[in-house]
Formats: sequence, C-alpha cells, structure tokens
Amino acid sequence: MARRFALVILALTLTAVTAAAQARGAQAPAAPPTPRAQAPIDLTGYWVAIISEDWRWRMITPSRGDFPSIPMTLSAQKIAEAWDPAKDESAGEACKAYGAPGLMRGPTRLNITWLDDDTLKMETDYGMQTRLFEFRTPPGNPAPSLQGRSVAQWIVAGGGRGRGGARFGAMKSVTTNLRPGYLRKNGVPYSDRTTFTEYWDMHTETNGDKYIVITNTVNDPTYLQAPWITALHFKREPDGSKWNPEPCDVRF
Amino acid sequence: MNEMTVRRTVLVACAFLALAVSASAQVDLTGSYQTRMYEDYIERGPGEFMGNFTGMPLSDEGRAKGLLYTSNLPSTYERQCLPQSAGIFQYRPVGFRVWSENNADGDVVAWVIGGDNLRNDIRIYMDGRPHPSPNALHLAGGFATGTWEGDTLTAKLTHLKTAWIRRGVGIPASDDTVITLHMTRRDDLLTMVTIQEDPHYLTEPHVVSRVWQWNPRGTAFDRPQCNTANEIPSLEDTGGVPHYIPGQNPEETYMAKMFNIPQEAAMGYAYTLYPEYRKTLKGKYKPPADCVSRGPGYCCGWIETQGRPGGAPNLTCNDGGFGTLGPRGRRTTAESN
Repeated sequence: MARRFALVILALTLTAVTAAAQARGAQAPAAPPTPRAQAPIDLTGYWVAIISEDWRWRMITPSRGDFPSIPMTLSAQKIAEAWDPAKDESAGEACKAYGAPGLMRGPTRLNITWLDDDTLKMETDYGMQTRLFEFRTPPGNPAPSLQGRSVAQWIVAGGGRGRGGARFGAMKSVTTNLRPGYLRKNGVPYSDRTTFTEYWDMHTETNGDKYIVITNTVNDPTYLQAPWITALHFKREPDGSKWNPEPCDVRF
Repeated sequence: MNEMTVRRTVLVACAFLALAVSASAQVDLTGSYQTRMYEDYIERGPGEFMGNFTGMPLSDEGRAKGLLYTSNLPSTYERQCLPQSAGIFQYRPVGFRVWSENNADGDVVAWVIGGDNLRNDIRIYMDGRPHPSPNALHLAGGFATGTWEGDTLTAKLTHLKTAWIRRGVGIPASDDTVITLHMTRRDDLLTMVTIQEDPHYLTEPHVVSRVWQWNPRGTAFDRPQCNTANEIPSLEDTGGVPHYIPGQNPEETYMAKMFNIPQEAAMGYAYTLYPEYRKTLKGKYKPPADCVSRGPGYCCGWIETQGRPGGAPNLTCNDGGFGTLGPRGRRTTAESN
C-alpha cells in the first residue's frame, strides 16, 4: 500500500513537471513580468495620514528644543537648539523638513500611481513633494537630493504565490542619496549618510476600509545614537477631492 | 489502481497542498519584545499633560467622561490596574512576550501576548471557534480570534472590561469596545496596529501603529502582575471616587494653554486628526517660547526622565535643570559626544 502510494505521488509529480516543461518549450521565452504586474498589493490611490500619534509634533511646528522621542546625539541636539527658521528661509532651504524621512510623518495626503511598469510614484500635497520608488534601478549614482533614491522590492507573503485567492505581501523600500534635512520641523537634523528603510503593508478591514501601515527605520551614523523606528498609518480615500497642495512652510 | 486508491491519493495530495499553503502563511511570532518609545513618548513614558486628548476621535460622552478624570482616580483600589488592561498596551512603556499554545498534533491553537502591561494575557484563538455571547464574561484580556493574512496575524478582540484607552488622562473605553489587531513581524521588528471601535466613546475607529523590537531581555524588568495597595489613606473605606464635577475641571485647558493651540484641538474631535484641520490652526497657532526658556516639565512631562524608572532608553532630552541625559544615564551638556 505504502509503495503504491509513493509511486502514485511520484508519477503525479513527474507528470506535472513534464507537462510544465513541455508547455514552456512550446512557447517562445516570455518576458519576465514587470514589477507592476507582480505587485501583491495595490498601493495606488489617494491616502490620508491619520494624525492619531505625536499630534503636537506632526500637525504643527513645535517650538525650538521640543524634541523628545528622537534618539539624537548631543551634536544633533546642539544643532536643533540653534534652529533658526529665518535662516532656512533666507538660504532657500524652506523644504528641509520635507525630505523623505521627515515628509512621511507630516500631515499629508498621498497620491500613489505607476509612473511606468518599473516605477511607483508617490506625491504629497503637504510640501508638494514627489518620491519615486524604483524596482529596477538604473546604473549610476545620482546626485543627493531631498527625496534621495528609493530602491523598491516586493515581498510576496505566504498564501499569495498560487493562482486565485487573495494575494498578500508588502513593499520594501530603501532610500539613500539624501541631502541633509530635518526629522522634525523644528530643526532635528539628519545627515547625508542617512539610510531610510520602509516596509509598506496594506490592511483591508471587514467594513472595506483600507490602511497602509509603513514601518520605518531611520539610520543616521552622524546624528542618531540608535535607529529611529516608528510606524505610520494612512487611510484610503475614494478620490482626490480633498487634495490640497501647499508649498513648504518653515514656520507652520 | 482502484477508485478507492485514487480518491485517497487525491485527498492526501490536497491535504499536502493545504498544509503547504497554511504553513507558508505563518510567521513565528514567538519571543520577547522591547518597546521602542519613539512615538507618543510623553504619554507612554513620563506621563501626559492633563487635558490632552489630541489624536483621539472622541464622542461627546467620551470627552465628558475624560474630563471627570483626576490623577487621584487610579489610586482607588478597583482602578489601580486599569492602566494595565489589554486594550491599553499600545500606550504602555513596557515590553511583552508572545508564545503559542499547541495541541497534541503541534497545531497552533492560540497565540498569546503576555506581559506586565496585560493584566490578563491576550489569547488569540486560531482554531476557528466563535466569539461567545455578548453577555459572556468580560476580562481585562478580552476574547480574541485570529487568522493569517499573508504574513500578518489579524485578530479581533472583544469582551474587554471597561478600561481606559490612554493612561493618565482618563480617555475611556467601554466594555462594548472592539479592537482589530494586525501583527506583522519582519526580522526583529514587530509592528502592531490596533483599530479600536467603541460605540459609546468614539465617533470613528481609533488607529494606532507601534513597533516593538525582539530582544531576549525585552521583558526582563517588567513586573509579572498588577498589585493593588492603599495609596491615599484618606480614601480608605470611604467609598469616595476622586473626580471633577462636570464643567469644573481646572486642568481642562492645561494642554491648550501650554502649547498655544485652540482648546478644541486638544479635546479629541475627529476632524482634528486630518491634514485639513491645519487650515483652522493656521493663523491661530503661535509656537510657545522654546523649551530651554520655558523651564522644567515643558518637554519631558512632569516626573520621570531618562536614566530613571519609566524613562525611555537611548533618548536625549532637556529635563528641566537636571542636565542633559543620554543612553548611559545622566550627562551634562558640556560632555562631548
């Protein structure tokens, strides 16, 4: 009985493997699916930040020196204590708090679309910024910028690999090539050596509500004593009717 | 091959397939996790400013009940452990442990979250059992069932006792509260998302997302349980319940005055959670004097700071005259990096 069972399983496996090989051989080699086609979750659409955490540090610009909860070094603390918004304005650095690690904690809406099959585009109305998530990174090292370079990949989770049924997974992005900026609007600095890692998860509730939850880690060997680890949540909106672009503002 | 053998083979193959899918959809959550208090630090560490309901979608009833609260209320015997209820763990400063309970075949019957912040463990049943009647016993840990959605364990938590949503400022939760919990582990980070609904005290779901970090010593310093003791001798055997009379809470405006924000911004109206509320704030908000000139308590809350019990690890902060404190405890601003 056991031997017969083993033979049956072996035969089934061989049949399946042979059939798959024949099917592949009969067709011309297919182009690998694009990142857009491979996406296990659909991040596109309009999303709004729910400021249910750290309200007074995110919704308004806190006063100078109000920087608990960021594991900054003493040198960072000294820089933050000397923060002068007028200086940033006169230096044309009004968007310093809108670089990727600071931007994502802002009171913003996101509009996420596919720029092309390999690149996810995220726009914010808060500060009118654009981040690009590149699944296929072109060669070369671009010049440092406010939003840096974000290299993305899909993480396909268990249960999502087969045909049919729900697909699960997340997007991981790693952002480097950042120009120095602020983690908090009142001048808590991050340096150009910063690496910003994000895991983008999506949750659909039984009432149909959808949330993006982003688990963030900011590593900065210059101004942080330890990685700054937080999570953010955004809720899906039906359309862009509440989209309200506003330029960078140093003081509010 | 007779029909019986074919049928049996198909059944076995299906079972293997189901097992493979099921196994791949699970992540081992076991371990001790240490809190990373990089969000809502004041609330979770030294203690929140009175009259601070920012970030909350409170109903009028929830707001009114919150404003009855005084700091003496948790000193009554029957309320001393309420801040350690399961529903409040996202606002506690300590870690927790996660483990599985398995049946004789090794199948996970329940995932359990335990720690000193949970007066009862949260036991998330994975065996498909239904939730009990609404009239069944309510516990501090509630009753929870869970399913895997990819690598995320999603649980529904009901049957919680009346408690607080946030500790220290009296924001209430009723025993009709329902919490949806999403647990996602990536390497050593565990992200916990709670979406709390309460038909009495909230006007919309209250969403919180936090990160814990796996650490074998993550719960080493936590107390195993909550004990009660007489904290205010004059209350002993009086049956008195400390409270403010409605409309007469002298701390109601403390937060708004401290940070120069409109009173409504601090009172937990749902519309204050969304970016468009900034239009209302613009022109009304003027940042208060900076922390250094403002003096003790402004930045770090009102009692504990780094290097002392309850202080967050690895943070620096102006502690109002005690010197700047870093990860190794007390330091002075003159100390170099």
